[in-house]
Amino acid sequence: MSAAADSLAHAVKEQEEGLLNCVHCGFCLPACPTYRRLGDEADSPRGRLHLMRAVVEGRLDPGSEAFQTHIGRCLGCRACEPVCPSGVEYGNLLELARHVGGEARRLSLLTRLLLRVFGTEWLARPAMFAGRAARATGIPALVTRLLAGSAPPRGPRLGLAMLAASGPMRGLRAAPAGSGSPRPGAAARATVGLLTGCVQAGLFSRVNEATARVLEANGYQIVPVDAQGCCGALHAHAGDLEAARAMARRNVEAFEAAGVDYLAMNASGCGAAMAEYGSLLSHDPAMRDRAAAIAGRVRDVSELLAACGPLRGSAVRMKATWDAPCHLVHAQRVSSPPQTVLDAVPELEVLPLAGATECCGGAGIYGLTHPHLGGWIGGDKVRSVVESGADILVTGNPGCMMQIGAGLRLAGSGVPVLHLVELLDESYRRAGLYHGESDHGNGSRP
Amino acid sequence: MIPGRLTKELARICGRDAVIVDRDRLLVYESDALTAYRHRPGAVVLPRTTEEVRRTVQAVVRHGLPIVPRGAGTGLSGGAVALNGAVVIGTARMNRILAIDAPNRRAVLQPGVINAELSAAAAVYGLYYAPDPSSQTACTIGGNVAENSGGPHCLKYGVTSRYVTGLTVVLADGSVVKAGGQGREAPGYDLAGLFLGSEGCFGIATEIEVGLLPVPEGVRTLLGIFDRIEDAGRAVSDIISAGLLPAAMEIIDGPTIRAVEDSVFAAGYPTDAEAALVIEFDGLEAGLDHEAERATHFCLRAGAREVRSARDEEERLALWKGRKKAFGAMGRIAPDLLVQDATVPRTTLPAILKGISEIGKRYNLIVANVFHAGDGNLHPNILFDRRDRDELERVEHASKEIMQLCVDAGGTITGEHGVGLDKKHHMPLIYGPDELDTMWGIRRVFDPGAVMNPGKVLPEETEPLHANPGQDPASGELVGAPAPA
Amino acid sequence: MNNQALTPESTAETREIVLAARAAGSRLLPAGRRTWPGAGGWTRDGGTTVSTSRLDAVHHYEPADLTLTAGAGIGLDRLARIVGPNRQWLPFDAPGSSAGTLGAAVASGTSGPLRNRYGATRDNVLGLEVVTGDGRSLRIGGRVVKNVAGYDLVRLFTGSRGSLGIITRVSVRLFPIPEADETLLFAGGPSEAVSMARTVCTSEVPVAAAELVEGEEVGADRAMVLAVRLLGGPREVEESRRRIRAALGTEPWRALDDGGSRRFHAARIGWEEGASLVARLAALPDRIDAAVAAARACATRANGAQGSAAITADVLQGLVRVRAALPDFDPTRLAETLATARREMEALGGSLTLSHAPPQVGARVGWTGSRRETAALTDRIKALFDPDSVLAPRCP
Repeated sequence: MSAAADSLAHAVKEQEEGLLNCVHCGFCLPACPTYRRLGDEADSPRGRLHLMRAVVEGRLDPGSEAFQTHIGRCLGCRACEPVCPSGVEYGNLLELARHVGGEARRLSLLTRLLLRVFGTEWLARPAMFAGRAARATGIPALVTRLLAGSAPPRGPRLGLAMLAASGPMRGLRAAPAGSGSPRPGAAARATVGLLTGCVQAGLFSRVNEATARVLEANGYQIVPVDAQGCCGALHAHAGDLEAARAMARRNVEAFEAAGVDYLAMNASGCGAAMAEYGSLLSHDPAMRDRAAAIAGRVRDVSELLAACGPLRGSAVRMKATWDAPCHLVHAQRVSSPPQTVLDAVPELEVLPLAGATECCGGAGIYGLTHPHLGGWIGGDKVRSVVESGADILVTGNPGCMMQIGAGLRLAGSGVPVLHLVELLDESYRRAGLYHGESDHGNGSRP
Repeated sequence: MIPGRLTKELARICGRDAVIVDRDRLLVYESDALTAYRHRPGAVVLPRTTEEVRRTVQAVVRHGLPIVPRGAGTGLSGGAVALNGAVVIGTARMNRILAIDAPNRRAVLQPGVINAELSAAAAVYGLYYAPDPSSQTACTIGGNVAENSGGPHCLKYGVTSRYVTGLTVVLADGSVVKAGGQGREAPGYDLAGLFLGSEGCFGIATEIEVGLLPVPEGVRTLLGIFDRIEDAGRAVSDIISAGLLPAAMEIIDGPTIRAVEDSVFAAGYPTDAEAALVIEFDGLEAGLDHEAERATHFCLRAGAREVRSARDEEERLALWKGRKKAFGAMGRIAPDLLVQDATVPRTTLPAILKGISEIGKRYNLIVANVFHAGDGNLHPNILFDRRDRDELERVEHASKEIMQLCVDAGGTITGEHGVGLDKKHHMPLIYGPDELDTMWGIRRVFDPGAVMNPGKVLPEETEPLHANPGQDPASGELVGAPAPA
Repeated sequence: MNNQALTPESTAETREIVLAARAAGSRLLPAGRRTWPGAGGWTRDGGTTVSTSRLDAVHHYEPADLTLTAGAGIGLDRLARIVGPNRQWLPFDAPGSSAGTLGAAVASGTSGPLRNRYGATRDNVLGLEVVTGDGRSLRIGGRVVKNVAGYDLVRLFTGSRGSLGIITRVSVRLFPIPEADETLLFAGGPSEAVSMARTVCTSEVPVAAAELVEGEEVGADRAMVLAVRLLGGPREVEESRRRIRAALGTEPWRALDDGGSRRFHAARIGWEEGASLVARLAALPDRIDAAVAAARACATRANGAQGSAAITADVLQGLVRVRAALPDFDPTRLAETLATARREMEALGGSLTLSHAPPQVGARVGWTGSRRETAALTDRIKALFDPDSVLAPRCP
């Protein structure tokens, strides 16, 4: 048995010993977006766990078509975890299974290329720059508009649309960087280090800036953490655990050195990954406890804001709907704080979104590796957003913003996608909470 | 493995992606929620329509292979396990609600619709589907039809058979039979009623008509904490005798309370208590407080240490938590769990519980009880570790003794989980040779060639050798059977 | 029907009778006290009646279990007297007679208006002992309220009308008698009454039963009366009364409490007695208007010059019945009217069946609509239990 297979065997056994074993009850089946659409139990969490166990028992070759296909087809949305009566830590096992699968058969060229780009700073920077430059030309937006509604979104069209969708909402005025001022009279709160991330830093710097502003406005002190890097989530999800662990070690050291009370996350995929650094590095005696301590300080930005009863801004008279990112609601079980943040925006009408807690099909690089199924799942999300009657979709993860935004554009919908903090930031800006900015929401469209 | 010709034929009928023959992929279908029984099927087919099911059945039968219908595989009796390389016909893609007819309070649906999702869809009209098996978030209505499922609230509302008003069924010979249908009187034998609970041995239901109920206006939930389980049992009897009809009455015993409280699902039940009794009333707001007061009075009179009550949904869920999470929590104090499902006359509950506890002690096993106290439907959970051979053997003996104890008290071997593979050898405990013969006969009325879910419900050794009286050549061909394609 | 009835005193004796009849090639007609209205097309001339009236012992009654096991021949009236003191009842209110037996109620398998609250007859039969047409004695089901062990033969025998076996013993589920029992009678013209019935059907008020009855049968001076029965705790019933009145926007013509309500409904059970024609028209509850109209047409035709034909409707089930004494009638025209009504009902997805009719009418119209698709299964079921047709003919 390979070292990777050993580690899967170890993890399966560990969960069994910890009595987190799958009792095969099937409660996870309806929670799984792939099972719901395909109807094959091999595409359900219970089925995938059964395949993992079969590999451990030596009844199944990890290089087999079945293992590769069905483990590969999992979105990793972890919607199965909250509904599991036995508390199986599925996400954890999935990463190990992908690790085993990756050893038995190399990842696809596309996957390897994408991971390489995200994980390597000197590659990521120019790639993101190229992306921003392309976005700035307006070509992706134009092409997307021309192609809207013609065929299911996949391949290069999806890529262009995602790039177009990563741009800011038209008309949304960016506040000057670093212009946040502390909440008047508010005692200084905890110190916070912001994970700047790779995609956020590359394509969503405005979200990072807004995050810093709204946190500062609520009394948090932002401490710069320069030594940080990519969180490693995408690598872990794809089963490249060695790369993920290396990134985790680097981040543990960086945030330790910064000595912050909390690590603020505005990408729930990163948040979920960093919150699990403890288990990712559990076999590294030198790092285990330090990683767990850092993981314990990870908070989604919505949690930090909700915890202080966020300052209210000025009216944003729009109809919004909230899509819960999987890694926020399922992996981190954060469900009410985003509602609290939305409530801090006066006169914002929040409409319900059917299937709000179901995956949008973005799932990291899923839309690129599984275009058909990803497009199917994404298409359902887009339909439900359109049917909600909302003017804007609000979510909390850049991957979801790009996936849903791309889907909406290709479907010919004009509904823009905003990060939760962007919306709050706009409300604060209108309230004149930032230096030199005031425009007391007069009801005009932003 | 099934013959290549059959694979091609099935792919033509249902589409290539609906036919699974890869041996590795078939591994995931080797058991249902009772993992003690594992058999890999020959193939899995996922049809979408009655017509696809009909043609699939014809094709498989023509190749001489048996068929096993499967819903979500949440059954606890091994009923959906495919013996002898049988072909599984899964209903996962037959998941459409065809109609919700609100004025007549009924719905027509495909068998793969998930129980809780029917209620969710009906909620728009202020209606819901009453039978609520504990697995209702995952199990399918088709599976509920096959098992005639119950649930905590069937104390007041009755089991699946009360709500199924019509069925379209594909039989083994490929014929399609319609039985029942609301708003229509069909004098004659109650074929839909006979089909309910037949565990896939008579055919495959492909369209199901059910009755819906208005969502109750109000709910009151109580939780009684008792130092002695007999006292909880007496409270249940007193409540029933007083003419109150709660929607549900559920007891979890001391070992279960401690299992729950030791787990991450801790519900705040006192760990030194020996029983927790959940009582729920529903209906018009007007009478509920009065009923809840009376039930509280009976609990206290029977010796309850305290009675908690819930006023809103959040509090209600908190009181139910210990009951709902019991199964998962027990999964976390022992690696293996054997769940039984006997029903006994309600008044014998105290004696039976004492007997079960003695059997547990004698075999040195932890037996934790969770049960639908209002119906006398017990779920003793024997906790063990299958890697311990000696313990495994003790579990088998204890399990048999518990079953016998319940039968001797006038009870039955299964109240809601079904017989399946697991309990078929216990059938002679409650039925004599004539009854078993008759059941074999009825099975052959629907399926003369014994191709539908063979090896389930009836123990082979009881199979009568004489010819089936129903297999009269003159009437052997079913009317309405389509000509072979 | 032969007036000479055999009255076995035990299951063993019943079995001997069946075996002897089978050996002799003779015919038997299972019966209770022979007070139940005729079984439409299922009765047959010839054959010796076997009455279970002497199999009337109570074998098991544990009030706290709310279950009872008794011989099939126990009268429903006697059963009510036994369980009544414990404030319990068996809510069987199928058309028939309260002097009928438990076994006959099960064998007939029909249900009355209380089905809406308590479920159909078959939902409350827990177990049976039967002697089959080939002389086997079977115990099926059990005496516990939840039981899924084996195939549900209890449901098969419930409503099999003596065609598969003679029911000798029955276990049933009992219910507590509700604290409050009230019936509100709303009177109105024909279409007004039907419209009130539809309002009750779709209201959220938990109504136990609702029937439309002829005004003159209850002494009202309007054409029809809608009888709404409320059962439950006193506060629940009071609130339901208030809401029903609000929903209908009118005061009841009369309100019957407790004893009055019970007497009213007990009398309704015998509504079919003495009729020569009883037709049942079924439709979905929201088409009750069409069913009532079709039933009224049948009643008018059946009346001839001077009849006393009447209709009644169980509005929550969508079932309308026509009753007629037929002192003088034209069989051809009556058959035509019934056939037309059946066509109308079937066009709505409903049905018309006859439970009583003069033979020449029954033969011409057909007792039931066509049920060809299940005929083969039905034949095989009959052959499994009664291969030599010793008992009543198979169900249509």
